[in-house]
Amino acid sequence: MKKALLAFVLLFTAVSLIACGTSATTTTEPFDGNMTINVYTRDTTSGTRAGFMAGIGFAAAETDDSVLVDGFIIKDNTGIMTAMTIDEYGIGYISLSTVNNTIKALYYDGVAPTEANVMNDTYGLKRPFMWMLRAEGDYPSQDVEDIVNAFVAFLGTSDAGDIINNNGAIALPSTVTWDSIKSQYPISLEDNSDVTVRFGGSDSIQKVAQALTAAFVPKCGNFVAEHDHTGSGDAYKRTNDPAIKDTSVGKDVGFASRFFKTTESVLEAQRGQLAWDAIVAIVHLSNPLSDVTAADLKAIYDGTFTKWSDLDAE
Amino acid sequence: MSDQSIAARMKNTASSRRVDHLAKAVFLAAALISASFIFLIAGIVLFRGFIPFLSDNGGLGRVDLFHFLTADVWLIGQTFVSNLYGVGYLILSTLFITTLSLLISFPVGVLTALFIAKVAPKPLAKVLRTVIETLASIPSIVFGLFGAGVILKLVYDFSMAIGYQSKGGNSILATVLVLALMTIPTITSISEVAIRSVDTTLEHGSLALGASKTQTNFKVILAAAKSGIFTAAILGVGRSLGEATAVSLVAGGRRSGVSFDLLDTTGTLTTMMLEGLKETTGLDYDIRFSVGLVLMVVILITNLSLNAIKRRVGAVHVKA
Repeated sequence: MKKALLAFVLLFTAVSLIACGTSATTTTEPFDGNMTINVYTRDTTSGTRAGFMAGIGFAAAETDDSVLVDGFIIKDNTGIMTAMTIDEYGIGYISLSTVNNTIKALYYDGVAPTEANVMNDTYGLKRPFMWMLRAEGDYPSQDVEDIVNAFVAFLGTSDAGDIINNNGAIALPSTVTWDSIKSQYPISLEDNSDVTVRFGGSDSIQKVAQALTAAFVPKCGNFVAEHDHTGSGDAYKRTNDPAIKDTSVGKDVGFASRFFKTTESVLEAQRGQLAWDAIVAIVHLSNPLSDVTAADLKAIYDGTFTKWSDLDAE
Repeated sequence: MSDQSIAARMKNTASSRRVDHLAKAVFLAAALISASFIFLIAGIVLFRGFIPFLSDNGGLGRVDLFHFLTADVWLIGQTFVSNLYGVGYLILSTLFITTLSLLISFPVGVLTALFIAKVAPKPLAKVLRTVIETLASIPSIVFGLFGAGVILKLVYDFSMAIGYQSKGGNSILATVLVLALMTIPTITSISEVAIRSVDTTLEHGSLALGASKTQTNFKVILAAAKSGIFTAAILGVGRSLGEATAVSLVAGGRRSGVSFDLLDTTGTLTTMMLEGLKETTGLDYDIRFSVGLVLMVVILITNLSLNAIKRRVGAVHVKA
């Protein structure tokens, strides 16, 4: 009796394990356009969400869930990726650096989402990561100015490029290494542990900026990097706006996750781009859709289109 | 007994008393340290949890406590701009999900415990006990990954098969299944100890009176172990209420309204605390302490009521 029971339990375990294996390969039925579009999004604190919503012309949804279509699903970057391997009728968006072949990355306005197309500025669903400096001679001290100039040079090296790419953005191409140019910046050889450099601006860039300074501090005499990121608008205001730049919130380097406006004009040498942040709309591999426009995506996310067939009707 | 041996015993007693005192002091210190951590954590969450209701939150204005506790929308308006936070619907969803998962994990857990303790042949019982103990020590993120990779797919396929389009499997059902998987080992191992500690004379008495093995197991052994089994259920509920990581991977992050539809998305107090936690600042960050405070109160009330029920159910004939 007991042996029979033991045998039964073993058999049961074996069968259930086999069942696990087979259930993973269920046959997929043909795509049904009358199904509801399941809309996946990041939560309101996400920089990717802000970039995506602004990119498709739906800025109201950057930090407000109530304007989104009813029944949306909130997931993180990986969560959206995994969801698109399961949900044949879902749509989501992820950072370009995380795209792989388990999901279908959609063309945007007819342009393939590739790094090359981001670099040649044809792929549209992206935003630039920009930096802005104070005017020459307008720093708390010469040491700060020298460190800032060394930092900007560092941003153009492949060392910084690796850090940017590892943090989900796409660095501008570079073949220069820090070691080959550091001799031009004698400040990097001094002990700067009593010098504080203030970084601010876009909070979307904060993670990348902090990773960059964390790598640069030991290369430049251990200066103190102070990060206070409040938004792209403060990149100009806190470095160059005469009314603000010399108050306690003033900054030495400001970052913006958009191009600078004409009202934010400074000298050419005071600003530049360090990276692109590209976002890709993704669907399940079985979805026949391959190309979307900003208008399509906005209509999906604001609930104008609720079925996949609504997209064909366009 | 000679005077000498009495003196020796007296001396012995005196030194062992010193050891007793020392041990008592060590135990007291350990208890104070662990207790003070509870007070420290509770105190900080209490203090920080109240800040959004008392301060003006950097110009956003005080959060209305009544609205916070009753609203069925997480946030009305824009993040970082609005102070209209609400967790009413999350409290209900949390309790609903916990109850459902207990409905699965309790019978399965207790029956498994009974099987291991009384029915299974010794070698099998040993293997099963190890399996259950291993399951109990698996970190929640692993259950979460299993949930996101396997359970979501199963729920999605299941709902497609019955002609209902789920939200990619992100649902109450998936959440309940993950939580049930996580609580079954807890309930099993504690119930098993309770079942094994039932006095064998009770069992023998029942069998001698002519009751069958099965009758004895259900009517005598489970009844006698019910206090311990109830403790198992309480710990299971505690684990369900407090689970964040695994749940957040399968719940779907519902932002408004209570849904009792098993295949619709949901959210719990813990998932709300976790989502965006690493990216957010200001009131949107502080309010998560308030959610934590609400969660602690919910857990406290649940535990107190379950303990009250446990006392009424009572304990019979369980060895110390």
